[in-house]
Amino acid sequence: MLTMFSFSLPLLAWCAVSYLPFLWHPDVELQISADREGVTTVYTPGDRVSEEFFPEFEAAVRTQNEEVSPFMSLDKPVEAGSESSVRRSNKKVLRHLAPLLVSNGWLTEEQTKDDAAIYVAWKEIATGARLPEQPALTEENLEIVRKNWALMSRYSDSYNADNFVSRPLLSLVPQGRPANPDYLPAPHRVLISGFKEFTKPAEAERPSMWQRVGHSMRIVFGGFLLAALVGVPIGVICGTYSFFSKLIEPFTDFFRYMPAPTFSTLLVVIFLANDAPKMALVFIGTIFQLILVVANTTRRLELPLLEAAQTLGANQAQLLTRVVIPGILPNLYNDLRILLGWAWTWLVIAELVGVKSGLTEFIETQGRWRNFDSVYPVIILIGLIGFFTDQILSFIRGFIFPWTSEGPAITSTPVAKVLLFVPRWFKSAVDERIPYQPESTSPNKA
Amino acid sequence: MIEIQTDPLLYRVQKPEVRERFEALKQRPVVLSVQNLYKTFESQTGTVTALKDVSFDVYRREFMCVIGPSGCGKSTLIRILAGLESSSDGKVLLDGNPVTGPGPDRGMVFQSYTLFPWLTVKQNVMFGPRMSGKRGTSAESEARQWIDLVGLSKFENSYPHQLSGGMKQRVAIARALANRPRILLMDEPFGALDAQTRCQMQSYLLQIWRNLDITILFITHDLDEAAFLADRILVLKANPGEVNEIIEVPVPRPRSAAQFITPEFIATKYRIDQLIHPDQGSPEDALPFPRMTPQGDDVE
Ligand SMILES: Nc1ncnc2c1ncn2[C@@H]1O[C@H](COP(=O)(O)OP(=O)(O)O)[C@@H](O)[C@H]1O
Ligand SMILES: [Mg+2]
Repeated sequence: MLTMFSFSLPLLAWCAVSYLPFLWHPDVELQISADREGVTTVYTPGDRVSEEFFPEFEAAVRTQNEEVSPFMSLDKPVEAGSESSVRRSNKKVLRHLAPLLVSNGWLTEEQTKDDAAIYVAWKEIATGARLPEQPALTEENLEIVRKNWALMSRYSDSYNADNFVSRPLLSLVPQGRPANPDYLPAPHRVLISGFKEFTKPAEAERPSMWQRVGHSMRIVFGGFLLAALVGVPIGVICGTYSFFSKLIEPFTDFFRYMPAPTFSTLLVVIFLANDAPKMALVFIGTIFQLILVVANTTRRLELPLLEAAQTLGANQAQLLTRVVIPGILPNLYNDLRILLGWAWTWLVIAELVGVKSGLTEFIETQGRWRNFDSVYPVIILIGLIGFFTDQILSFIRGFIFPWTSEGPAITSTPVAKVLLFVPRWFKSAVDERIPYQPESTSPNKA
Repeated sequence: MIEIQTDPLLYRVQKPEVRERFEALKQRPVVLSVQNLYKTFESQTGTVTALKDVSFDVYRREFMCVIGPSGCGKSTLIRILAGLESSSDGKVLLDGNPVTGPGPDRGMVFQSYTLFPWLTVKQNVMFGPRMSGKRGTSAESEARQWIDLVGLSKFENSYPHQLSGGMKQRVAIARALANRPRILLMDEPFGALDAQTRCQMQSYLLQIWRNLDITILFITHDLDEAAFLADRILVLKANPGEVNEIIEVPVPRPRSAAQFITPEFIATKYRIDQLIHPDQGSPEDALPFPRMTPQGDDVE
């Protein structure tokens, strides 16, 4: 049960922060934006601005509107030559309503530049024929729509590019809703983006997500297996013979303190492009640790077992192959499990070596574009792959090593607990349905 | 301390059939001969003399116990005999040949459980023969015989972690015997077992010993165990470990638990006890005795 909590608590916290507007939400996500005169920073709907800045933004637009409103009157003469620039900015104002219309379902994504359709919407809102609801317009903005429409309709009842309003229109005052910064997208957006990214087919120059996953796993497992292949024998020999321990371990101990990433450029020079330098990085990052851990595990083998084998006539070679190796296998297996987790931590750095590749390349690119809702699914996936690999390995340990006193550790892993919970619950539910039949042969059963 | 009503010197008085046994025993060939054995350990705190001038012979099919206070060098002695440790001086001869290292001609049963956890009972028993290249069905059926001998046929495919402590030590005995050693060295093999299991194991061991051509050197610190099992008991002195006396146990064979109260048995135990704890008096005398009960609250 606690295991479930350990996973559901962070999830719940994430949902709470995302879906309860009064929790955190330090930003305002714009639903309607506006251009400000003489300001080059342009916000579009979907952008986030800070809570502090949003009122300033509103105020600036209102002031701008106050300055404009005297010129709306048809009585005022228009400055000669300004007509075309006024028209241009008026078209922008017209389109500022578009994102809101899209989210209300009045327009499709493709229609955001369809001025005629937008024009119709202005008319419908101004006359009250139809009102947007999700989100709705503020009273203030409704008023602006009506005032603008009053002017627009004087020119033309439907969109006419040649006869478009040439007197300034009022800008819609920015509207927004509380939002979290873009680095914390809501769960459903992460799910949706994740689904999209993982179902996208591969294109030229752009592998599918599953190809990326495969690529990344190849690097981690490749580097790790190589390290294990080389490191385990060395570690076992170091742990068995003090001569080799003294010869090899001090240098290994020193080498492991040199951060593996510092060798990345060197590795590229040696192994050139592609995956070789990446695997080499995982290899370097893992093997020194592995040798020391394996040597230690080997040393921990109980001396009496070795002595018993000697009194039974085992020679040195037999001691190694018949006692040391089988004796340390279960612990060695556990060590390798832990070191595999260690190898995973080198993934990102390894994939940055040389030409970026795999999942890291995706995370890097999307992160730069601030598409964090696409980044999170990948990060979570990496975590899940690592976690489940470990769980599976610890699950099958009991079957590989039936002699360890824990026996098959089926029920002890968190995943197994969760997986077994469902069938157990099902079974107990079924058991309840089977009526209890008292044994007729036992008279003293109540 | 043992309450003694019988004559404490009775341990030297041998009934005719017992004397005959010992005379016959000493006619047999010497399997293991230890001559002027010394062992010193060098450590930071100085040198420790664990064994000093230890000499004794063990005859074929003899059951010899070694007893002595804790730390007197019993384990050191048996480890030298097994070849797991080298002596500082002196000779160890097995059938007249000097011992240089561990070998299958001397089986050893340790106090700690040393079954290989990754092998089943049968595989454990076959370990020794396998090391010398024996395998196949004949080796397997022989292993089964040894397992039968210690009464664990039902468990031949179990792993050690599924066995109780007593069962583990029985497998360890079968495993050592499977090499057909000249002598079985046992270092407090039943020390970790509960009293009841220990008694059972002692009977088992005597049975096995009676039915096989095997010589046993058995280390213990338990007076009852020594007096119950042994033909002769080698009593060691502590600091340094020297031979104190070799007692010929006057209790006739076959042994049974009923003999625990015979005068010979009690006298033997008394003698060992005297040798191990010389003029120490009652252990209570050595303890400080602050009174922690209210006055006039006597329980006696
Ligand atoms: N490897 C060793 N290094 C140093 N001293 C040792 C070593 N093994 C045993 N000794 C010392 O030798 C003495 C005898 O030890 P041991 O044979 O284990 O005694 P016992 O088995 O009779 O209790 C003890 O004083 C012990 O401290
Ligand atoms: Mg000891």
